[in-house]
Amino acid sequence: MTSESTLFSNRWLPALLVAPFMLLIVLFFYVPIFQAFYWSFFLEQPFGGGSMFVGLDNFARVLSDREFWQAGWRTILFMVTGSSLAVLVPLILAVAADRKIRLSLPARNVLVWPKGVAGASIGVVFAFVFNPFVGILAPLNQAFPGIWAPGIDGTDAFITLIAAHVWGGIPFNFVILLAGLQSIPRTMHQAAAMDGAGPWRRIFDVQLPLIMPQLFLTLVLEFTESVTSAFALIDTITHGGPGGATTLLVYKIYKDGFSGYDLSGASTQTAILMVFVILLTAAQFVFLGRRINYER
Amino acid sequence: MIENARSLNIAASLILLVGMLYILGPLYLTLATASQSYEFLLRNGLAWYPGDQFLNNAARIFTETRIPIQMFNSLAVAFSLAIATCILSFLSAYAIVYFRIRWAGVAFALILATIMLPVDIRVITTYQVASNIFSPINALLDVTGLNGVISELFGAPVQLELSVLNTHFGLIAPLAAHGTGTFLFRQFFRTLPGDLFKAARMDGAGPVRFMFDILLPLSRTSFAALFVLTFLSGWTQYLWPLVASSTPDMQTAVVGLARLLPDSDGTVPDFPMIMAGAVIVSLVPLLMIALLQRYLVQGLVLSEK
Repeated sequence: MTSESTLFSNRWLPALLVAPFMLLIVLFFYVPIFQAFYWSFFLEQPFGGGSMFVGLDNFARVLSDREFWQAGWRTILFMVTGSSLAVLVPLILAVAADRKIRLSLPARNVLVWPKGVAGASIGVVFAFVFNPFVGILAPLNQAFPGIWAPGIDGTDAFITLIAAHVWGGIPFNFVILLAGLQSIPRTMHQAAAMDGAGPWRRIFDVQLPLIMPQLFLTLVLEFTESVTSAFALIDTITHGGPGGATTLLVYKIYKDGFSGYDLSGASTQTAILMVFVILLTAAQFVFLGRRINYER
Repeated sequence: MIENARSLNIAASLILLVGMLYILGPLYLTLATASQSYEFLLRNGLAWYPGDQFLNNAARIFTETRIPIQMFNSLAVAFSLAIATCILSFLSAYAIVYFRIRWAGVAFALILATIMLPVDIRVITTYQVASNIFSPINALLDVTGLNGVISELFGAPVQLELSVLNTHFGLIAPLAAHGTGTFLFRQFFRTLPGDLFKAARMDGAGPVRFMFDILLPLSRTSFAALFVLTFLSGWTQYLWPLVASSTPDMQTAVVGLARLLPDSDGTVPDFPMIMAGAVIVSLVPLLMIALLQRYLVQGLVLSEK
């Protein structure tokens, strides 16, 4: 038989099958993205008051805004610390769970639970647990007044956010990394052990190199995730405070757009954030992705 | 294991223990606090042990807040989102994998790109589109000059308007515009042996028959995995339901729960009641994880490959 038989050759049926999904994606994904870039070149009046082409004025305005840069750096700081921890912690847990000890089974069960707890719900819980007056650190505060004050100290607020972010990120990364570890053939371990590699050595010379594809994937997804998922946590735990210390770009865009009615400013920041995320993902694929060996 | 390293196993056990404590600790404190009274909280602070007030707090959630109706909204949103995603993803992946079409690669790339920029990033303009889903058509008519012609002929340009804000459809649609499901099904279809297709064709099965009688039954686990994954994601969404619903009765439970926290600092909020709310709101997804964990794990792993 020729290649004729490996695929259907209808012309309209596949278009019909993809059409509903494509329509949805164009309407709620590509149009909004296009509009964000479009609006960044116009001065939009809220409540349909018309618009005016202003060239790069919006970008000049946003880029000269000190608060924008602060939010931008906070976003990067959160991305770097939050996502490296959100990959590192599940990695350590996965390596431990891969040893097939008695606790492996309950751990594998419990560690996916956060998947069912919404970011905002865990935000509400962490807002309580780390509350300076009634939370777990309240006794510490009584002994040393002011040592834990997320309402005043920006660093404390930031730490709370990171702790909540890592908590919510464990299930996905843990499952992916553990699946990667478990697909390493036992014979590899045995061969390495025969050659005299101890358990530590095997972690770094056998296990980590072999789960590079999974590590890469979790890192790429985690970077995007940390840019976006932070919103629910910020809105429930810190409200961007104190003093803008936890105002990441997603939160600032929301505030500018929905409370300040500054549609042009919010769209311009959205456009910048999108370009940043796209470049970041591309850079990861170019610099990291290429070096990864998917062959076993 | 290969060697008998007891000290290593103990270290690994300790690590897992700490990890489980990190996950379960906040959940336990939530549950313990939810079962204490507000007065207890004011007197003793955080509750380290459960009390007997849980039913009392839960009853107040059901009578004093909108959480019950918001739970219904969450259920409707999560369920419809999961169903819609399953169907749309299956159909589009089927077209991309099993038909000889030149645009398959382009279509797949367009779908896959949606994973990179989630709705939280594009929320401002998505809101604008949702407030009038015909706005792209209006803009298109304006740009092409067609509207000029129409207003010449009929006296007025075409300005269609339909807002999906504050409707269940509006809550769901932007979330459904996401490519993970298509990716998942495509990966699954490609693991199926090619002979399956050839045999079906030899037996005279057309595209519709092949899809319903062969592909659909084989994809049962993938459907389950994707359903669980999307349901959980729908239930736990926050930013989009927050902006897309303007009345408390249209909000989802997670949004309603977050609204229970007072905005200002100063007084200690009624944490026992709020924690009871957190327990109630998380009950459905946690139950789902407990019962369907196999599919969840499978879905997470499948969506990666």
